[in-house]
Amino acid sequence: MMVCSLYPALRVTTPWSCSESHLGSCRKQLMFCVSRRKARRRAWTGVSCSAETRTVVIGLAADSGCGKSTFMRRLTSVLGGVAEPPRGCNAYSNTLVGDATTVICLDDYHALDREGRKEKGVTALDPKANNFDLMYEQVRALKSGVAVEKPVYNHVTGCLDPPELIRPPNILFIEGLHPLFDPRIRSLLDFSIYLDISNEVKFAWKIQRDMAERGESLESIKASIKARKSDFDMYIDPQKQYADAIIEVLPTRLIPEKSATEVLRVRLVMREGVKHFTPVYLFDEGSTISWTPCGGKLSCSYPGIRFFYGPDTYFSDEASVLEMDGQFDRLDELIYVESHLSNLSTKYYGEVTQQMLKHADFPGSNDGTGLFQTIIGLKIRQLYEQIIAGESSHGWKREQLRRCLRLSPV
Amino acid sequence: MLMAATAASSVRLSTPGAVYTKAQLPRPQRPHARLLPLLGGRRRAVLAASAPSTPPDISDKVSESIKKAEDACSGDAVSGECAAAWDEVEELSAAASHARDKLKANSDPLENYCKDNPETDECRTYDN
Repeated sequence: MMVCSLYPALRVTTPWSCSESHLGSCRKQLMFCVSRRKARRRAWTGVSCSAETRTVVIGLAADSGCGKSTFMRRLTSVLGGVAEPPRGCNAYSNTLVGDATTVICLDDYHALDREGRKEKGVTALDPKANNFDLMYEQVRALKSGVAVEKPVYNHVTGCLDPPELIRPPNILFIEGLHPLFDPRIRSLLDFSIYLDISNEVKFAWKIQRDMAERGESLESIKASIKARKSDFDMYIDPQKQYADAIIEVLPTRLIPEKSATEVLRVRLVMREGVKHFTPVYLFDEGSTISWTPCGGKLSCSYPGIRFFYGPDTYFSDEASVLEMDGQFDRLDELIYVESHLSNLSTKYYGEVTQQMLKHADFPGSNDGTGLFQTIIGLKIRQLYEQIIAGESSHGWKREQLRRCLRLSPV
Repeated sequence: MLMAATAASSVRLSTPGAVYTKAQLPRPQRPHARLLPLLGGRRRAVLAASAPSTPPDISDKVSESIKKAEDACSGDAVSGECAAAWDEVEELSAAASHARDKLKANSDPLENYCKDNPETDECRTYDN
């Protein structure tokens, strides 16, 4: 974290008013320094400026039971390290802390606990059940480098537990039902992703998750989905128009049976014109490509793999869509596909394959969900590096500052 | 802790294939794989060891919440109370699923040891 400490003994009057809002701390110091140089006083040794890192904020929106946790684990792995619950007091903390990343679950900002929601007859999907003011204040504080005491929502008891301390990380993920709902929070996000799971696939995943549980029947799963559907369509689904990248998961088209959900068709919709984000493409950027890699060079088992890439409009915005239908069966299929995709933001050949292999036990490791989540992770890494490089392009000013303060280069 | 780790490591070394991670994708998980524990009483005992079960307190909460939701919806199926009750079921099912995953992650003592000490001989992995 950047710390520019100013020793109170050195009082300088400058014509500039340095407000602490948008100015990076180092620039503030520079302004002081210029006025000092004119006075030709002794070197200002009280300032120490280490490397600037600001917090990059990424939002992930998805319904419950749609693979947010798996996505987060993949993302934090690509960005380095393992994100784990903080070793502290609360065993039911929803937060994950890693070397460079912190993941905050927005359920912690529930304004009403389970009892409160039952009394008022609202679901957790309803904005009335969430405290957006606190959410905005704390995300803004973390983004500007201030640690916060964040409330904790206990999913087992359904109560709000005592708050926990969250320190500002390099990359902050906010995942939950409403990261894109409030316009103020949207303005804080550097990048946002929406996981759009179709109804058939969501139903199949919930069966897979809950049927093994004693007491859950098919009817109860159906009733639960149906009861939440209207709130979901009203409050959660509209958020996808604001996301920079949308991952749509649909049933496959390769198997002729109606809505076969064992094999998935996954579409990565990438908005054009997002800062620091270059969409992935297949062969030729901007053209429409339909590609079946299985054939002479690559043999795949049924139902095979099919790719599609092309420009499209998404909610009347320009976007590129990369679609994968089918499953990977073997390692060489994965590396073959990776070698034909471009703009992956990998640092070496085979990085996507290696990341997928690292988490071969995660759900979705053999289809488009894992592939596109890994690619998004690499894109976020590139976005972070570009943002930080952009911030420190003021580095030449830092050099000047150091010289004028007669400090040795760091 | 050291004893347990040594015991676990000696078990591990006797099956050398398990020390190395193979560069291979696993077979795709079939959606009905989780349903296998429900079939046939005889297989149940074997599969219970491999499929992690939910901690009983959460599991009871889930069953309780389903009953409450069914009662709340018996009157008016489109009321806010009905939706809130089924939302609670969904929340608890998600919590149960996370608890199962956590149990699965913590079940192997060697994995837990290797998380903190990846450089030790027992925990080295080779990719080629």
